[in-house]
Amino acid sequence: MQTSTGTLSKRRRIFWLVPLIALALPLLTNPYTQFIANAMLIYTLVTLGFSVVIGNLGQLAFANTAFFGIGAYASAIASTNLGLPWLATVPLAGLAGAFGGFLASAAALRGIRLYYLAIVTMAFGELMRWFYTHTGVLTGGTDGLPVSRERDFGLALTSDTVQFYVFLIITCLLVAGTVNLLRSRIGRAIIAVRENEIATASLGIPTSQIIVTAFMWSGFIVGIAGAMFALHTGRVFPESFGLTQLIVNFAMVLVGGLGSVAGAVLGAVALTALPEYVRAFPGMEEIFFGVIVMVVLLVMPKGLASLLARVSPIFQQRYHRD
Amino acid sequence: MKFKPKKLGLLVGLALAATGSAAADETTGLTDDSIKIGVMGPFSGNASSYSKAEIGLMAFYQMINDEGGINGRKIVAVQEDTGCDPAKALAAAKKLIHQDEVFMLHGNSCSGAAVAIKPEIVDAGLPWIVAHAVSDTISVPPVENIFHGVPTGNTNGEAMAAFVLSKPDTKKVAIVEHSNDWAHSYSNPARAYLKGHGIEPVAELVMERGQTDATAQVLKLRQANPDFIIGALYEAETAIFLRDMKKYGLDTPVMGTAGTDLENTLKRVGDLDTVKNYFVLHPYVDNLDGPLMKKWADMIHKYYPDEELTNFSYISIGSGVALVEALKAAGPDLTRSKVMAELDKIENLDTGILSSTITWSPEEHRGAKSSAVAGFVDGQPTVLKAWNTPY
Repeated sequence: MQTSTGTLSKRRRIFWLVPLIALALPLLTNPYTQFIANAMLIYTLVTLGFSVVIGNLGQLAFANTAFFGIGAYASAIASTNLGLPWLATVPLAGLAGAFGGFLASAAALRGIRLYYLAIVTMAFGELMRWFYTHTGVLTGGTDGLPVSRERDFGLALTSDTVQFYVFLIITCLLVAGTVNLLRSRIGRAIIAVRENEIATASLGIPTSQIIVTAFMWSGFIVGIAGAMFALHTGRVFPESFGLTQLIVNFAMVLVGGLGSVAGAVLGAVALTALPEYVRAFPGMEEIFFGVIVMVVLLVMPKGLASLLARVSPIFQQRYHRD
Repeated sequence: MKFKPKKLGLLVGLALAATGSAAADETTGLTDDSIKIGVMGPFSGNASSYSKAEIGLMAFYQMINDEGGINGRKIVAVQEDTGCDPAKALAAAKKLIHQDEVFMLHGNSCSGAAVAIKPEIVDAGLPWIVAHAVSDTISVPPVENIFHGVPTGNTNGEAMAAFVLSKPDTKKVAIVEHSNDWAHSYSNPARAYLKGHGIEPVAELVMERGQTDATAQVLKLRQANPDFIIGALYEAETAIFLRDMKKYGLDTPVMGTAGTDLENTLKRVGDLDTVKNYFVLHPYVDNLDGPLMKKWADMIHKYYPDEELTNFSYISIGSGVALVEALKAAGPDLTRSKVMAELDKIENLDTGILSSTITWSPEEHRGAKSSAVAGFVDGQPTVLKAWNTPY
């Protein structure tokens, strides 16, 4: 028991070391590299939310991009059309994303599974994109919707550095929240649904509620990431939430490791940073993505997170998908 | 592990102090013998065919360099991919401005990407000539450092309507369009122009993207019996619309956008009779295979021998000609302010490639204020100023 507690405590301390070190990052960056670092934090949350549904809950659902767009547009509409400060739009974006998660979970609750669920949820994402494009009065249509970046509770949010610190705090809170959720009774039930839904139900666990909860938590996280994305780019466009975005996010989950929180962080950081190195070679990015996903799946099917687990057992996660 | 809040505060303070947007440096990106220019375009992704515009522009730079450069300086183009994606375009712009430290920016296809990066470029203060994207939002209201070097959406829409009204006795005009903003960017200025001339459309119809049949639209148009039809449709839908017009015996002239190409439309429909009454916006002084365009085609092929030339290949070169004029006029002691001041002095510049001259002033940064039209005359593609009036 002492060993287990000691390991847990050590893992928690190591977890907090990462953001502490990251605090010094702006000393080493220029506005471009800072922009990329900020994108890493956003995609960490997107990947984490995706991983909760696809890796931990075990549902082949691709509504992730829809949650991302819903959060981004909720934030942009609330800040630009309603005049709310961006920080106040963050919880709204999370709630809007959670509502998107609730809608997406309806398909899973109807017993739709596997490829059928994948198609239905992808259609949901495309439907949302159609909505953003064709409701110009609300969303700005194809011209996009600007996000107000005036001073926000005393913070100059136009600065990439200030954005970085705000994003870092939000990301840490949501990553810690997800870790705690997955460790909780609900988290164990989520994993149980993944392993055997019928057996889980036979134990008296309300599997429908568990599925809805996982989808809504995923939507909440990704919706907040959407609000961060809206601030990050300053303007949201429908094309930012299409199939390309979905493929990139899916690659991040696979490369990081399905169902692994550390993997979500690693996958997002790696696949946000590495394509920047192939910028100078137009057209190479698509090839790069394809090759890296194939290599990771062939060489380490559990993703980059499995490398960490090899370094030390303290990185092993019970809810990681084998 | 003991954590000291004071040290953390110091660290954060240092980090914040180290940031803050650097003031625009007047000579960043210049050396005694080079001018570094950032060229952004969609070199990858679904819209990569647009990047032919940037390739044409870079061929033009190379030609200028081979001719000795400008006031002793050669142009060094730094190419960055936007993928037509606003977030990727923003990263590209930040990289060019803050990491590659270019003197100015030139290029940009895709209006969405260009609109997204506008605030960043306004803040940075370096000159930016938009050489392909058409949204008026980019250059209206005018900003000191942003110049539009191609006809914008409003100009295009007005040019379409002006050509329609140049046909004698045109009283009834119909509009068929997609329901997206791209189509509206052409049709709305055209509507306004028509209204200004006392004409309300006799029919306004929607044909959705991906639609494979236009029977309903054509039958309604036959009933309305317009003198001219304005079609804000993509190339595939244009071909379907023209095919069904022929099928139902409707031979009303159709005015299309710059998003379609005359020769490509002919290839799609397969016979000249179907496209004989089709006209498109054509921003150049001659047909693509005409004598006035040949030197530009040869120039691109000299530096990019395998490049397949399309309508997009030439669109950015006109603004390149204008830039070279401004750089020459700014003299050897170049600064960003001098270049912007010289760009503002460019008046009625005949670029030798765009059908419109370029004029910029501090009050108006949309430089190209008209567009020619191309249509088949006696079976040959012909550039027209107005109805039956060759360019």
